Formats: sequence, structure tokens, C-alpha cells
Amino acid sequence: MARSRTGFWLSVPVYAAVVALCVAPLLILLAYSFFQVSFVAVLKEPTLKNYVRIVGSDTYRWLILKAFGSGLMVAAITAVIGYPVAWFIAKRVVAAKSAFLTLLLVPLYTGDLVRIFAWRMLLGAEGVLNTFLMAFGAIREPIGALLFSSLATHIVLTYNYLPFMVLGLWLAFEALDDRLVEAAADLGAGAVSTFRRVTLPLTVPGLVAGSMMVFVMVVGDYLTPQLVGGASGITIISAINDLFGTAFDWPLGSAIAWTMLAILALAFAGAAIVINRSSLGKALAAGEA
Amino acid sequence: MNFQINRRGLLKTAAAGAAFGALQPFNRAFAATDLVWMTWENLAKDDYLAAFLKGGDVSLTKNFIGTDDEQFAKLRAGGASSVDLITPGLDKVEYYVASDLLQPIDFAKVPNAALLYDTFKKTDLGKKDGKTYGIPFYWGINPIVYRADLMDGEPDWSVFFEGDKYKGKLAMRDYALEGIMIAALYLGIPKDKMFDMDDKELAEVKKALLAQKKLLRTYWNSIGDLTNLFASGEVVCAFSWVPPYYDLSARGLKMGMAKPKAGVIGWCDTIAVPKGVEGEKLDKVFSLVNYLLGPEYGEKLAFGGPYAQGTSAALDKLPDEQKEKIFVKDLSIMDSFVWKKNPARYNDWVALWNEVKAS
Amino acid sequence: MIAADRAKDTSGQENRPLLQGIAVHKDYGGVHAVRGVDFRIAPNSYVTLLGPSGCGKTSLLRMIGGFEALSSGVLELDGQSLAGVPASKRPVNTVFQNYALFPHLSVQENVGFGLAYRRLSKGDMASRVEGALSQVQMTPMAKRRPRQLSGGQQQRVALARAIVNEPRLLLLDEPLSALDRRMRKDMQIELKDLQRRLGMTFLHVTHDQEEAFALSDEIIVMNNGRIEQQASPAEIYRRPASAYVADFIGGANLAPGTILGAVGEAAVIDTPLGRFECPAVAGLRDGDKAVLCIRPELLRLQAGEDGFEVVVTHTVFRGAEWLVEAKASGDITISLIVDDPEPPAVGSAVRLGFDPTRAWIVAASAGG
Repeated sequence: MARSRTGFWLSVPVYAAVVALCVAPLLILLAYSFFQVSFVAVLKEPTLKNYVRIVGSDTYRWLILKAFGSGLMVAAITAVIGYPVAWFIAKRVVAAKSAFLTLLLVPLYTGDLVRIFAWRMLLGAEGVLNTFLMAFGAIREPIGALLFSSLATHIVLTYNYLPFMVLGLWLAFEALDDRLVEAAADLGAGAVSTFRRVTLPLTVPGLVAGSMMVFVMVVGDYLTPQLVGGASGITIISAINDLFGTAFDWPLGSAIAWTMLAILALAFAGAAIVINRSSLGKALAAGEA
Repeated sequence: MNFQINRRGLLKTAAAGAAFGALQPFNRAFAATDLVWMTWENLAKDDYLAAFLKGGDVSLTKNFIGTDDEQFAKLRAGGASSVDLITPGLDKVEYYVASDLLQPIDFAKVPNAALLYDTFKKTDLGKKDGKTYGIPFYWGINPIVYRADLMDGEPDWSVFFEGDKYKGKLAMRDYALEGIMIAALYLGIPKDKMFDMDDKELAEVKKALLAQKKLLRTYWNSIGDLTNLFASGEVVCAFSWVPPYYDLSARGLKMGMAKPKAGVIGWCDTIAVPKGVEGEKLDKVFSLVNYLLGPEYGEKLAFGGPYAQGTSAALDKLPDEQKEKIFVKDLSIMDSFVWKKNPARYNDWVALWNEVKAS
Repeated sequence: MIAADRAKDTSGQENRPLLQGIAVHKDYGGVHAVRGVDFRIAPNSYVTLLGPSGCGKTSLLRMIGGFEALSSGVLELDGQSLAGVPASKRPVNTVFQNYALFPHLSVQENVGFGLAYRRLSKGDMASRVEGALSQVQMTPMAKRRPRQLSGGQQQRVALARAIVNEPRLLLLDEPLSALDRRMRKDMQIELKDLQRRLGMTFLHVTHDQEEAFALSDEIIVMNNGRIEQQASPAEIYRRPASAYVADFIGGANLAPGTILGAVGEAAVIDTPLGRFECPAVAGLRDGDKAVLCIRPELLRLQAGEDGFEVVVTHTVFRGAEWLVEAKASGDITISLIVDDPEPPAVGSAVRLGFDPTRAWIVAASAGG
């Protein structure tokens, strides 16, 4: 008894920190989402008007959809690229493993802006790629759509967040026992079948972890679309930013933020239920994979 | 309960603000003559302020801001008690006054204010009930800047709305207020009606902005970024601030600056004193304000910026060439400026702007 | 040879091996794991590959399983070369060390894994899985996941997963090493039973000679990448082919000496312990360096002038008997078993004798 009570008191600071740093700000945001704003005064009369506005607004609905769409797309692309990379580092590199991982992380050390401007130099109308293609006669006019386009946004987002996908997958591959792959071959499975029945299911936790990291970061990244996305570089996050800053409409900004949180929570809950019902999910939940 | 947040109310309710406030008396007790100025980095260069600080009885802590909105948000969240002087835009002073964050300027302690240009003496902006809360402190215009080597002639606002000669080579600032003002100027909506546009006029503005979006390479967010876009040739013409014109001309590019006849957007920042600054400290703050409107500071700013001061204090010290640069050679030009003002339906403007960008 | 006597190919041909290795060599970038070995494994036999860790037995097993390529040499299964045949196409299955069960699949799904590559109806598949599980008494656990099973149970599932495919050859890689002693004994009996019942050929890698003796029709003793001897357990024990085998199997006392006269299957050897006439490996000649092997249980304490003298250095009580260690002349270490109530005192000199017809002479190996 005495021991468990000590344990309780020792854990109090942890709970307090979680509440103060995570829960409280979100709850304040939630409270604001039900208020209204009149010039610079916040009217603290609970109302659902902000949520009605979001549901009724083509702009906000489209921006939210676009954010989640981009998140899913970049998660998918980084998964396809990152999967073989992670496999290679985990299973084929022996001596230089830490060197490879460091190399992978180097772009992260350079900072967002440096990376974005480097991509501008590469993709711009007078950039490296266009100059190169024109010098070899592959194109006559520079391809403008390489930069300041949705394409550019997704290229840079993929580049930015690929390391997180690779790290997630790399951990999963490190945990994957090579003998399981041998066992599958031993039992008659060819390379494709081994991948489908053994490697893929056992690296799904890494894929899920990597995808969630990439997804959340892509949804939250407004700088990249703003700086390389061109005239269509607006994101729901920069819209929220505008509402909090320029428009001084904290309630509507809070309501959009909470709408996104709620959709995300529902999506994750739905995914959790689906995974729980599948046999794979049961294995994952039991901590076996 | 209809409850308007004022500073004290917020301090009571927001824990973070309360903690902030609780620390304050402690700070003040130990640094009685230290003034905290929340301002833009380019206004608080050491050599601009050297003449004022050499007396030694005042020290200055600079608290740099990134945007006017950020400054307002900081003060609204309870930061007012930690600063002694702020630098809001002339069009934004209204926000601070409505939020009960400022105290009126005591002109008896700011003799240089008598030298304010007429435009600023007459304007309603920055004032409430006959009292001035934000003194116009420095100002300028936001013109069209373009690559003269890559364009055929001097452009006006129409370059952003019609024709496709420069399609994909134009840029517009990502800022609802100015973006919509320019559309209104292009559409010929009179300056005095501009900030009270009705639904029909806003619909026209939206149509024009949608046409504009198709011509744009991008919206720009920082002036450094725009300078970069000009330099790399991604953008040949943009609604801009002045600095890229000087920076790139100095680097040998043939730049142009256009001030369309339909009207140019003028901007002006003020200095304002938060509520709660009092006693001896308030006197020191006003003496700083007086210095900022005076000839030493004005001269430094005219060459260093180059920007014009809100007063004519330094005018005699400037050669004509420099006066030209800061638009004070012929003062009648000020009448063609459209001073930024807070529109009544600003939230609708922001929503409209976002709709255009998201389309 | 026992295994050879029983060797009956499915086609009815006598003496045709199920698996044959000819000059099988494996080298990992200059490290020679397996050095050109030859061997034959008869159908329907239980063969163990016995040797200390690092002797090359696991490398050999992995080459047979198809997980490693041969550096040179040939492996033939049923007379067909296995060169270029991937693991997935070999009629060979493996029970891996630590079992390698698929953690994301149930026991049933693990066992049925390989059947997916056969043209079987769902019903056939289910009944074969059921059959394999009942062979290893794991039917009640069919729905569980590997993590929910004990080590012994996982072992059984691994066995079922392999035998359900009816391989021509079942490879077992140290399958019992992770089990406790008691469980190991039980599993040994079950493995042997299972092999007899199924009429399948088992090739079992182990470093435990007791395990090899308990299970095998034939033992292949490996050392340092080479096969020292392949023979029945009794043959290996009684007539080891080398001093190494004699020592590794049953810890024989080894006395180096010189052959004075070799006559047919016997020879006279001169050692620091004395001069003895004993059975010998074939091919020894007068003057050859050789080693006399005397099993500890052959040695007897004896009175009088016969035998040779040793000084007792250690005594270890083993319940039914004493294990006594002693030094003989020539600095030869001698172990013997004494079943008297009290052992000779440490430090005392005793005389030992043995029946020379049950000792054995081998050639001294080049390496010593």
C-alpha cells in the first residue's frame, strides 16, 4: 500500500505536465471555438455558429480535404520510396549502418528554409533542372510547373519527411528476424509470396508509425506549400494562422483546429477498430510483431 | 454574459498571462530606467539611437516583432505590462484602443509632435474621442517593383489583372487588406468608399482577384523571399515593398518602381504607449518618443532606411536626392496615397481572400 | 553398417543414398567453414551432425536447406543435383533453432503456411494441418499464437509446420538447445518416435553427444570443417576413427605412442603407460605415430605389479560412482570410474589395469 501511494505521488508531476502542456491548451481552444468575435471583443456566449460556418464553407471544407489528401499522398509516396531504403539499411548494410542513418538525417539538420530554397534553385524556371534539360535539347521552354505548383509542393514535402518514414520502417526491419524469411522460403514461398505473407505484415507497425508521423507533419506544414506551392499554396493551417493573426477571429480559428482534430481522431479510431478486427491487428496488439 | 476581454480580465482568466504579470513588478524593481520597446528590427539600429542613449540614465531593451498581428496578439495575451513602447501600424491602433491596451499621448511631453505632417495631423486614424493614441512615426509607400530589363514599359495595377504577357511571372503579397485594396483601385472604386464596400462591390473584387490568381507565379510572404524571386527571374513584377528595388539595383539589376496613377498604398507605423506605464518611467518613454520624432533620428532613418519620418524635423538636413527617395520632395504626392485603414468588414475580406487562394 | 543395411530407396533400389555430398566446400571470404566433405545419408534414417560450435555443421545444414550456396562441390538429393534449386523448391523442410514461428499467424496458420503452395482443396489442407498437429499433440492449441506457447509447445508447432509438407528430408538445427534438460529428454524420445512413425529422413544438428547417441542411426562427427567420422553410435564409441573423435565422444584417455608391429586389425603400441597389443584402425604401419584410446570405464584399480602407475589429482562424487582424475608418466591425464564406496586418496599412487582387447589404437592426427 505504502509503495503504491509513493508511486502515485511520484507520478503526479508527470500527469500535471501532461495536463498543463497538452490537455489544457486544447481545452482552452475548444472553449474558444464556441465563442464569437465582434471587432476585437470576444463574446463568450456559447454558440455553434463557427462550426456551422465551417460546414457551410466550400473554402474550409476544401482546404481540410486538401490537407488530409496531401498527408495521405505524401505518406504513401514516402512509404513506397522509404520501404526499400529502410530494408537496405537494416538488412544489407553492416559496417556503415550509423553512417547511412546519419546521412539520411543530414537534410534535417539544414533547417526548413535552407532546404526549400535549395529546391527552388533546383526546380525554378532558370533552375538547375530546367537549364540542364534545355542544354540537352529535351525541352525548348523551361517547364514552369516544376516550381510553384502542387507538384513542387509534393516533391519537397516528400523529400522533407522521407527520413521519418525511413526511421519508422528501419526500426521495424531491425526487429524483423531474418530466419522468418528463411522459414517462409523453406516452406515453399517465393520472393513475392514471402514479402506478402511475412515481411509486409511484420513491418506494418513501422509502416503505420512512419505514415502517422509523415501524415501529421505534412498536414501541419504550411511553410512548404506557401514557399514552393505558388498561387495555390494556401493550406488550412495558413488559413487558421490568418484567422488568429490578421482577422483576429480566434473562435473560428479554434473551431477549424478542433474540426481537424476531431476528424483525425475519428479516422484513427476507425483505423484502430479495423486493425483490431483483423488477425494482423490482434497480433500487433498482443505485442508480437 | 456579454463580456469584453480587457487586459486585466485576461490576466485573471489566462494562467499564462497571470504568471507573466506576476513576474513583472519584480523586473521593474530592479531595472527602473530600462525601457522595453517592441518594434521592427530596422527601426532600432544602435547608431539611430546612440544620441538618445548617451546620457546614460536610460537603457533600452528591444523586443523585435515579425508582424503587426503578432504584436497585437502578444499584447492581447497579457504581454502589455511587460513593454513600455510599441510600434503598431496606423490602421491597427484602433484594435489596441478598442482592447483598452493604450494610454493617450501627452503632447506636452512630446514637443516634436508639432512638426507632424498635415496629413497625419488631420487623419482620424490613431485617434479616439479627440485623443491621440498612436503617433505617426514613419511611413512610406508600397509600390509596384519590377525588373526593368525584362518588361517593356512601366506597369500599372492592370498588369496584375488583364492580359497574359507576363502570365506566371507576377507576384502579389499574401495579405488580404492590400490585395483587396489593389483590386478596388484597379476597379476604380473611390478611396473613401473602398473600406466600406458592399456585397456587390466585394463580388466584383473577388472576380478580379480570381482572374489575377491565374496570372500569378506565387503569393509572397516575406520581403526577403520576394527579393530572391526577383533576383532569380522567377518573378518580373510584383506588388512590393521598397527594399527589393534598392537592394537589387545596388547589385546591378535594372529595377523599376511604379507608382500607379490610380493610387498608391501608403503605410504608416505609429508609436504608442501601453496602459500601465506611469510616473518617472512614463516621462522617460515620452522623451524617447520625442527623440524618435526629432531631427537626429529622422536623418539616420532617411539615409539608413531609406524611410521618411512622420515629422518634418529632419527635412532641412536632407539633400534633394534623398528627399526624392523617401517621397518628401514634393509633399503634395501624399494626397495621392491611399492610407491603409481597417475595413469595417475585415473578417469578410479575409474570408474572401482565402476563398480566392483556395479556389 | 546399420543404416546402410536398412537403406531402401522408394524405387526399391538398394543402397542408393537419399542425400549425397561430394567435396562440399563453403568459404566465407577466406574463412573455410566446410572443407570439401563427402557424406551419404540413407533414406528413412535418423542422422545427427555432431560437433562443437564452429565446426561447420550449421553451414552444412544451411547449404542442404538452400539458404547458402556451395563454394564448390555437389549436393544430390535422390540422385538429382541441388545446384540452382532455391530453398522454396527443395523437398526439404527445416526446424529452425528457436523455431522461427510466424508471430502474426496462429498455430494453425503457421502449420498450414507451406500447404498454400500445393494444389490442395481447403478441406484437404485443414485435415492435413489437423493431422500434423495431432502428430505432435498440439490440437488444442490450434488457435493460439506462438507468443502464447511455452518453448516446448513452440518446438512441436515448428515440427508440425515442417512435417505437414511431407519433405523427403527434414533438417533440424539444434532443435532442443533452448529446452530445459527434462523437456529435452522427453522430446528426444518423441522425435525418434515421430521419425519412425513417419518413415521420414531426419538430419539433426547438435553439439550434444548424448542427444546424438539417443536419437541416431548414424552420427556424422565434424571438426574444423571436416567430417571426422560417419558411423553408427556404437561404432563411433567403440572404434573412433581419430583421436579427436575418441576424445570428443565419451572423453577417452589418450596415450600417444609408436606402432611397433601391426598385424591385420590389431597392433602393438609403445606408450609412456607401457606396451600394449590392441585392436587398431586399418592402415597403421610399424614406426607410425599413433594414439592409444582407453575409455574411462575400462580402467580398473588393481593390486600387484601389473598395469601402470598413476597419481590421483582429483576425485568427484557422481552418486553411483566416483570420477577420478590422475596423472600418469609422460604427463598423461587419465580419467577413470571407481564404484567403490570411497575413492583413492588424492595424492596417493595407484596402479591401473584394463582389458587391451577393448582398447583401440588410432593414427596420430597431423595437427596433434
